[in-house]
Amino acid sequence: MKRRTFALFSATALVAAAAAGCSSSSSTPAASSATGPGSASFGVNATGTVQFWARTVSKTLAQKLVSEFNASHSNLKVKLTLTSINDDTTSLATSIRAGDPPDVDGLNDIDMPTFTRNGSFLDLTKAIAKLPYASALSPGHVGLGTYQGKEYGVPYWADLSVLWYNKNLFKQAGLNPDDPPTTYAQILSDAQKINKLGHGINGFTFAGDCQGCLGFTVQPGIWAAHSYLTTGAIGSQTATITGNTALMQALTLYQEMWSQHLVPDNVRTDDGPTWGQDFVAGKIGIMPGGYGQVENLATSAQLGSEFADAPLPGATGDYSTFDGGDDFAIPAAAKNPSGAWEFITWVMQEQQQEQYPGLGATPIRTDLLTPAFSAAHPLDAVPLKALGHGYAPVTLIYNQAFNEASGPWFQMFTTAVYDGNMNLALQQGQSGFTQLLQQAAA
Amino acid sequence: MITDESGPRDSTVPRARPVKPSPSWPAALLRGGSLGARRARTGMILVSPAFALVAVFVLFPLGFAVYISLTDWPLIGPYHFTGGRNYTELIHDPVFIHSVVFTLLYTAIVTGPILVLGYAMAAFVRANRPGSVVFRTAFFLPFIVGLATESFMLLLELQPDSGVVDAVLGKLGLASVSTAWTVHYDLALGVICVFVVWFASGLTMMILMGGMQGIPGDLYEAANVDGATWWQKERRITIPMLRRNIALSLIISVIGSFLAFNQFYILTQGGPGTSTEPIVMWIYQEAFIAYHLGYATAGAIALVVVVAIISAAQFFLLRDDDTPRPRRRG
Repeated sequence: MKRRTFALFSATALVAAAAAGCSSSSSTPAASSATGPGSASFGVNATGTVQFWARTVSKTLAQKLVSEFNASHSNLKVKLTLTSINDDTTSLATSIRAGDPPDVDGLNDIDMPTFTRNGSFLDLTKAIAKLPYASALSPGHVGLGTYQGKEYGVPYWADLSVLWYNKNLFKQAGLNPDDPPTTYAQILSDAQKINKLGHGINGFTFAGDCQGCLGFTVQPGIWAAHSYLTTGAIGSQTATITGNTALMQALTLYQEMWSQHLVPDNVRTDDGPTWGQDFVAGKIGIMPGGYGQVENLATSAQLGSEFADAPLPGATGDYSTFDGGDDFAIPAAAKNPSGAWEFITWVMQEQQQEQYPGLGATPIRTDLLTPAFSAAHPLDAVPLKALGHGYAPVTLIYNQAFNEASGPWFQMFTTAVYDGNMNLALQQGQSGFTQLLQQAAA
Repeated sequence: MITDESGPRDSTVPRARPVKPSPSWPAALLRGGSLGARRARTGMILVSPAFALVAVFVLFPLGFAVYISLTDWPLIGPYHFTGGRNYTELIHDPVFIHSVVFTLLYTAIVTGPILVLGYAMAAFVRANRPGSVVFRTAFFLPFIVGLATESFMLLLELQPDSGVVDAVLGKLGLASVSTAWTVHYDLALGVICVFVVWFASGLTMMILMGGMQGIPGDLYEAANVDGATWWQKERRITIPMLRRNIALSLIISVIGSFLAFNQFYILTQGGPGTSTEPIVMWIYQEAFIAYHLGYATAGAIALVVVVAIISAAQFFLLRDDDTPRPRRRG
């Protein structure tokens, strides 16, 4: 009897599991064409509630925007739910599978391709085309939200990488504090001069055990030379590591910083949480980092007078930035897509965007870089200027390849920078990236 | 066992009736059939709520997980039944195999010291001497505070040039003040093992101390009369009497080591490379970084099976010999 009962329960469980699994694979209905993104009424005078999920990393910004939107809209209310900074994809996927997703999600832009390629989001191409500033939207954010020519996302906020430097230390080392480095050679020579100041002062710093931080700050130098580590469309991408001169130059710069002791010894174990604290403590000459990172850590008196930022240069000039931050996306099964689009377009308006600098974020529209903006927010004008030159890799393997200790990006960095073996590093990188790309395409 | 024959045999006295169930019992279910059958039914009714909970919260998810492990379940989007392909790939996946070998190595390193240190601490604090409570608290505290919190604290203290570990070892001349513990395989494994032994031996101490305090004092008094030494008393009385407690603490400790995640995730992130990546972290990476949920679930099912086998083996090896076993007839 006991065994029979157990078998019955087990069989029931498996049948239920199979049924649940089958039902979750069915596609979700898209908004009808009469009220969908192509219609004139989409995003206009919507009513009801908009469920907005945002990552905790944009908490301050999200709370302020939602509170102001709700205060100025009587028929449409936005309800904010904060999701984990790194596990937001799991929450979103679960809600989509359950058929109860938010109306708008602020998704880490790098994770967009995971969702766009299987129809999880509403196709916003027609709605975006109607925006007067469509061509001014952050190219990296839009690129990550585009799949097979259709646009599934628009930028929510930009978290961009820049080159921070300490003006006081520049002066003490006999350098011009208004002339930040614009090539790798200048970065190295400036760091060497500042390092000579001694007394615990180092020329340069980086988070040497934080894979994501390195991807955020080292790659723009490579992109500045119009070189990329993966190329091709999703599904048929290839790795371009061996023979990549711009990559070799970037790794060589960091290897020299390490071997010449121009960085503190503990950068080797800095895995992120303490990144930038040495810079804000006034002990570092130059630090590639995020705009919001230093804006949040430093006092307002230090910003501009002691700390200033410049675009992240490539080896021989030009510059780029990592188009980080989040994209807005409307899940295909959202209950109030029109309300969601009304909220999104309200956020993208100039009035809201101009609040971004004070909240540690960069606006997502390049057309907002006016002389008035530069005068009011000189430090945020630097990343906003770089936004038009920005990029973010559109690939399904970003997290695996760049954000993990076991990923090929960090293995390559470690071998090249700490072990000083460039040839082996490039071979490891080529085979590691190729393997991941093949797995993702399978 | 009480049967119908247990009543008085004198036929002039009415036979004792079975105990009447309270009126709230569903009488229909208990009516009819022999007492044995009724008792079995009562038993079924009594355990059915617990069984229903187990079915909903254990059997169903487990069955569902087995099903997921037989598919190419992605984070989002359609999936396909792939049969045993995930399991075939698993045994050919060098990263998974490495995580299994690493987990076995880690378990082999920490299990003995946790037991020995836990036993030593239990022996030290078992008597109700002044100060015992203070030591018990101090020894058990690491377990109470929690592995994740302590891992973060350790991470800060392991920082070269700023952490207390390098500062102290540097002063003693045992290590360089800029030793980067968490980025070298040997150093990372060593420091995590020491840390975990410190963390987990408190629980072993509590389990063993409870057992020690339950051993009758007469045994030790008799041993004292016979002139037994401290070691003889431990070996001949304490350890044999603690068999069950030792078995329990070993099983908890081994399962804990097999399921290790926090300390590695926080301190090394599995690095350098994947050298310090235990099985659970491999599962996490595959599921939530690579989004291969079907494949990761296959790894999780494999882990469940391995842990079940190891626990069963430990139960078998450390079973109570007092239980009489049927002799084989020759």
